Amino acid sequence: MVTQYGIKYAVNLITTHFGDLVAKVCECLLRKGPLNLQAIVRFTELTSSQVKNSLLVLIQHNCVQAFVLEQPGDHGDGAKLNTQYITLFNNIIHRWRFPKFLTIVSQKLDKQCVELLEALLLHGRLTLKQMSDRAKSGQNEGDDAILDAVREAFIKLRNAHFIERCPASEPVLTKPTEEEASARKRGPKSAKILEEKETLEQRVLEAAAPPEALRFLIVTQTECAADGGKDESNSSGMAPGEKRKRDALESETECGTTDDQVVLWRANFEEFIRRLRHKACIENVRAHLDDGAIIVLGAMLEATRGAEKKVKTENSVPLSLNSIYEEVIKSEEGRNITFDRVRASLVQLSCPPFVKAVNESYSIDFKKIIELAQNEEVESIVLKRYGRDAYRMFRLLLNSGRLLETDKIADTTFVEKKDTPKILYKLWKDDYLHMEYQLVMNFGIVLVIQEKGGKKAVYYKLQLTGVRQSQFLLWKVNKNTLQEHVLDEMFHAALNLSLRVAHELEQEKELLNIPQDKRVNRLRKVRLLLESSHMKLDDAIMLFHDF
Amino acid sequence: MSRLQGPNSLKRKRPGSTSDSLTEHERTVHDVIQGKQDMGISQRDMKREINLPDNLVTKCLKSLLAKNLIKEVKNIQSRGRKHFISVEFEPSNEITGGAWYVEGSLDTEYINVLKEQCWRKIYGLKVATLEGVTDAIKRSNVSQIELSKQQVEEIVKALVLDNEVMEVKSSGTGEFASIPVGKVCYKCIGKRGYGGEPKFGAMASIPCGVCPQISHCTPDGIISPKTCVYYKKWLDF
Repeated sequence: MVTQYGIKYAVNLITTHFGDLVAKVCECLLRKGPLNLQAIVRFTELTSSQVKNSLLVLIQHNCVQAFVLEQPGDHGDGAKLNTQYITLFNNIIHRWRFPKFLTIVSQKLDKQCVELLEALLLHGRLTLKQMSDRAKSGQNEGDDAILDAVREAFIKLRNAHFIERCPASEPVLTKPTEEEASARKRGPKSAKILEEKETLEQRVLEAAAPPEALRFLIVTQTECAADGGKDESNSSGMAPGEKRKRDALESETECGTTDDQVVLWRANFEEFIRRLRHKACIENVRAHLDDGAIIVLGAMLEATRGAEKKVKTENSVPLSLNSIYEEVIKSEEGRNITFDRVRASLVQLSCPPFVKAVNESYSIDFKKIIELAQNEEVESIVLKRYGRDAYRMFRLLLNSGRLLETDKIADTTFVEKKDTPKILYKLWKDDYLHMEYQLVMNFGIVLVIQEKGGKKAVYYKLQLTGVRQSQFLLWKVNKNTLQEHVLDEMFHAALNLSLRVAHELEQEKELLNIPQDKRVNRLRKVRLLLESSHMKLDDAIMLFHDF
Repeated sequence: MSRLQGPNSLKRKRPGSTSDSLTEHERTVHDVIQGKQDMGISQRDMKREINLPDNLVTKCLKSLLAKNLIKEVKNIQSRGRKHFISVEFEPSNEITGGAWYVEGSLDTEYINVLKEQCWRKIYGLKVATLEGVTDAIKRSNVSQIELSKQQVEEIVKALVLDNEVMEVKSSGTGEFASIPVGKVCYKCIGKRGYGGEPKFGAMASIPCGVCPQISHCTPDGIISPKTCVYYKKWLDF
């Protein structure tokens, strides 16, 4: 779901990290969807080399993926190949989350691993050789010791799936399916286009992803070193990813062999988002249940994480009571928990159903936990923005999931009948509710006897019988549109926070009449508040966008 | 159907039903009001239904009130307007608003007292069925009027909407051991006491999350994060 403010938020981030030129190319791709080089040049009115370089930066940082769309030739002269570029919106937004990713690694692994991941996040993509070179340049120790340390950290990160091999540079995609082709014809404003883009993005990502067997595979060190050297001699200070992509862009034949042998690595965002999702689940359940239940839930997450195929998994794989207990006692805080207590915690967890129990095996209901957290987030916005009466009404409509009439809402929520429509109207005006208008007229069935040409016809007719009409207003929460609306507002708010930080920094330079220590102190507090609010808001964005 | 009768049927006289001392106009007005049974009719609607001059209708109403044949009631839908009903009827719930209304206004004070009492009973019972709460309320005499199970249900449902209480189905084990499996019961929400605010989410904790002008706010507009008054107040260190 890429909303209008989602795009603005992403463009703001790219501007801050890579400047206006790159941001212009990125915005063009975000707004127009996948394009080839010529089209980007035409739309952005930049020079071809400016666009090329911007694309290389975006590819290096995993924000854009190139792909080749195979299109049938016009006159039956075989397929034409056309390289296109697609933005990976999620990967752009993930850039805000780098501190969170680093925190995860610092909690699970050692300092070396954190440093290595930091380097990967900073450079986007690196070969093992470059990771070693980078470490060597910053340290005075013996080369071998550094190489060993880097390699060890690298293996640890790889084993935890925190890093992965980079996807293929230009996967070939066969022509779009008929459904997609028809969606494209419907014009740019059609909502289908958005869906099409998503499916296309998914197809590109799938085509580019290395096979699961290769994704975390490490090639031998000698191979790597040899290839790395070759690369270095050619690139003269250019990052290898850039070099590789540039080569790929300019000439397909020149260094085909290098492409095969240099293995680039990057941070595995999927694994980080999965961990953050699990963390969010624990935090949300913690608000409802005691520590024992949290330990059990944590153990279940730990035991089933490896089996998750995608981030948005709805249910974990089922676990037996024994295997849950086995996992619980692995942790320090779980060691003093008895078998019976685990059983009791599972009963607690199944009401409300955070964990589903079927035939003595238990599975985490991620969908329910996330849905509950999303509801709580929106409800608290409604409470703070529109007050307690509106909060009750909103919760009624959210939980009932169907159209309810104004008076019924007033009765159930104990709100004055004359105030109810006003509150509902406010919520509707701000896109939190859906409204329908119903006019009820009095109809009756009338017996009609007609005689035409000596033939009698008897029939019943529906006819307006009374003069009174009743008007009803019906209300409901439309979850899909609500989610999109809330997410857009969140992107907007996040953009505002980041713009305000920039504004504060800019202003600080101008306020020279205030004593410096006072200024610095204020700026520190302001930044702390804005940035911590931004990170918390990002958690909420993930709740609606990534989980 | 009584609410929907056309004007013709209402003009029929009902011999013996009203006092002979009524004038013809008074009788017409009284018949209209009586025809509306427990719903009654507002003065404005009556003027529309009867083809009589306004001042005459007002005069008739005054006289009928004086003769104790009709009474004035408060209609919750439009409290400002005069609403009349024949003396032999009690106004319907649609007019009075039902048990929770007094003199046409919602009795919020009484409702709030009941809400808190119900919450305390549920809290005391840990897990309570509706019957359990009704019994506990009955025994404690918190309400001078005896509350029906349905009324208690309305209060408890409002507590659910307030996010003070949650509705769960009994699993028959643990804390639900005494309650049949599948029966709907109520539990107090986790860790906060009655009336406490729920934890505000990330969005609700920042100015933009509760900003009434968010739809007018743009990066370089008149309302923008740079010029925002709410931000200024928030960041006033």
